[in-house]
Amino acid sequence: MEKFIDGLIRDFESGRLGRREFCQTLGIATAVYAAGGAEANAAPAGRGFKALGVNHLSYECPDYRKARDFYSSMFGMQVLNDKGKGRANLAFGPEPAKGGNFLVVHNPGANPPKPTEAVIDHICYTIPNWDEAKVRGALKAKGFDAPTGRDGSLHVYDPFDYDVQIANAVQENAFRR
Amino acid sequence: MEAFFATKLDEFAKGKISRRALLETLTVAVTTSAAAGAANAAAPDPALKIALINHISYNCPDFRKAADWYSKVFNLDQVGATKIDVALPFGKKGEKPFGVTANNVPLTSMIIRSRDLNAPQAGGAPRRKSQAVIEHIGYTVADFDRERAKVELKSLGVENVRDGGLYSLHMTDPFGYDVQISGVANNALSDGA
Repeated sequence: MEKFIDGLIRDFESGRLGRREFCQTLGIATAVYAAGGAEANAAPAGRGFKALGVNHLSYECPDYRKARDFYSSMFGMQVLNDKGKGRANLAFGPEPAKGGNFLVVHNPGANPPKPTEAVIDHICYTIPNWDEAKVRGALKAKGFDAPTGRDGSLHVYDPFDYDVQIANAVQENAFRR
Repeated sequence: MEAFFATKLDEFAKGKISRRALLETLTVAVTTSAAAGAANAAAPDPALKIALINHISYNCPDFRKAADWYSKVFNLDQVGATKIDVALPFGKKGEKPFGVTANNVPLTSMIIRSRDLNAPQAGGAPRRKSQAVIEHIGYTVADFDRERAKVELKSLGVENVRDGGLYSLHMTDPFGYDVQISGVANNALSDGA
């Protein structure tokens, strides 16, 4: 923690970090630490990193507003840091800095992403209290009459034809494959 | 909202707040309310409220090579391997995801695959060509310290390690995919603030 704070002070002194950002970051760090983050923050004994989970997905599309409205109205993601400048954060799950995930929806930048041999062909999201009839009914009400997949695990396409999967903990679980 | 406006106006009239403070307060209130209104124009159905990422479907020419890289860098186990894929959960069997207390939310996993994305899917229809792309993924790691992380990544043979924003690092995986790591300081509130 001391090293982390030292880094923050350095960034502040060099002007890379404003007073507001400094206080916000330190506030978040304090909250995480006080909430028992020390256990979660314990580094692994071996090499490499102890991965806690996904932090965010960077989603590039022709119109971030369309994606923002879709994911927030469909799945209840919370819109944050939308300054009308071509990007927004869509938060879900636990609180930010306490395990929450977020989707960064953004317009294309000046430089297109470098070509890669790997592709994230879909993302699956967990719906915790899955009720088959209610889930299918809610999809239908949003205009998705015929999702593909099976009970407990369904696929739809978002406004940019990106494959979105939703599932419960039984149908999609790494330890039940 | 109107009551709030009135209160602020009263405070201004009584000299409790400056004209500038009034202007700023009202501007924030109006813009925040408008943004929230736009976002909530079509209210989400609670039946579709998501709790966490279940899995990321990562497709590449050699899933074993990618899986070994992610296992090495992030200390992830490989479970349920088939001829074309393997799952890498962020934790051990029986553990809960970081920050989650509910029992019906499984650990997030990467499912690393090598499959033909042009082949017809289970429903028979070919996969649509997407206009959107997940162009990088950020992972949260414990006890993140950027300078120490650089040394560790170098010792692991990770390529193209570079700074990302104030609190993170980017790197490239074996298939040229952009991977970001950070601590919890990088989150939905701080990112892009």
